[in-house]
Amino acid sequence: MILDCKHVWREISNYLDGDLDPALRRDIELHLETCRHCAALLDSTHNVLVLIADERTFRLPIGFHERLMKRLKDEVEAD
Amino acid sequence: MPDDPAESLLIERIRQGERELFYELVRPHERAVYLVAYSVLKNEADAEDAAQEAILKAFRSLAKFRGESRFQHWLIKIAFNEARMRYRKRQGEKLQSLDEPAEDEHYTPLQIRDWRELPPEVLERREVREEIHQAIAALGDKYREVLVLRDIEELNIAETAQLLGITEATVKVRLFRARLKLRDTLVERLPAHIRGKKARA
Repeated sequence: MILDCKHVWREISNYLDGDLDPALRRDIELHLETCRHCAALLDSTHNVLVLIADERTFRLPIGFHERLMKRLKDEVEAD
Repeated sequence: MPDDPAESLLIERIRQGERELFYELVRPHERAVYLVAYSVLKNEADAEDAAQEAILKAFRSLAKFRGESRFQHWLIKIAFNEARMRYRKRQGEKLQSLDEPAEDEHYTPLQIRDWRELPPEVLERREVREEIHQAIAALGDKYREVLVLRDIEELNIAETAQLLGITEATVKVRLFRARLKLRDTLVERLPAHIRGKKARA
């Protein structure tokens, strides 16, 4: 089936999750081969997801662990 | 999904009285608990306080953990409840209504012709991390929560649905919105920090 761009946009998230039936996946891949905008949409969305999942993006506040250990220690000792 | 055997053993020993082993049990999950609290409260100090209180509550109620779910999921649920309670108190109002405008059927992404991949090394730059934090904080509550569980904590769709008490179909719709909105924002903002120009074609 020939897909238009709007159809591809709607399925981008499911495509990235590998959550599509094989026929639709194949149709999307055919579209991506010839549509520069949709290919850039897929690449940039994937890139953003890789960046947000990286441990460097969100770090625990400095001293978090030490403050937590102190609170837990107080709790254990009071127990 | 049951816990892994080493974790189950630790939990059993803590229940038997080796209370100080709780430090070891909770350590691998500190970041996950903090991020869940951050996803609700959106600032570091409040998120830290809520995360630590959640961990203390988990310690006090470890006897109630039955091992039917993973320990981390149980902990995350406690953190969600703690953070949401604090959020409501802080806002003095109910959480954002779930009856928000209908999902946008006519979404049009920001159009670019090419995307030059940004390598993970860009995350060493504080301004890049801050752009990402701001973009995630700007998402609606229900979108941010799904994104954090699925794409940062890396839970699967079913686990995310179960934790939030929503259907898998709803998780997928919210995830779609969250990812594309985040992508649109960052496609505009990040390249300016890295190459000194916008990526828009």
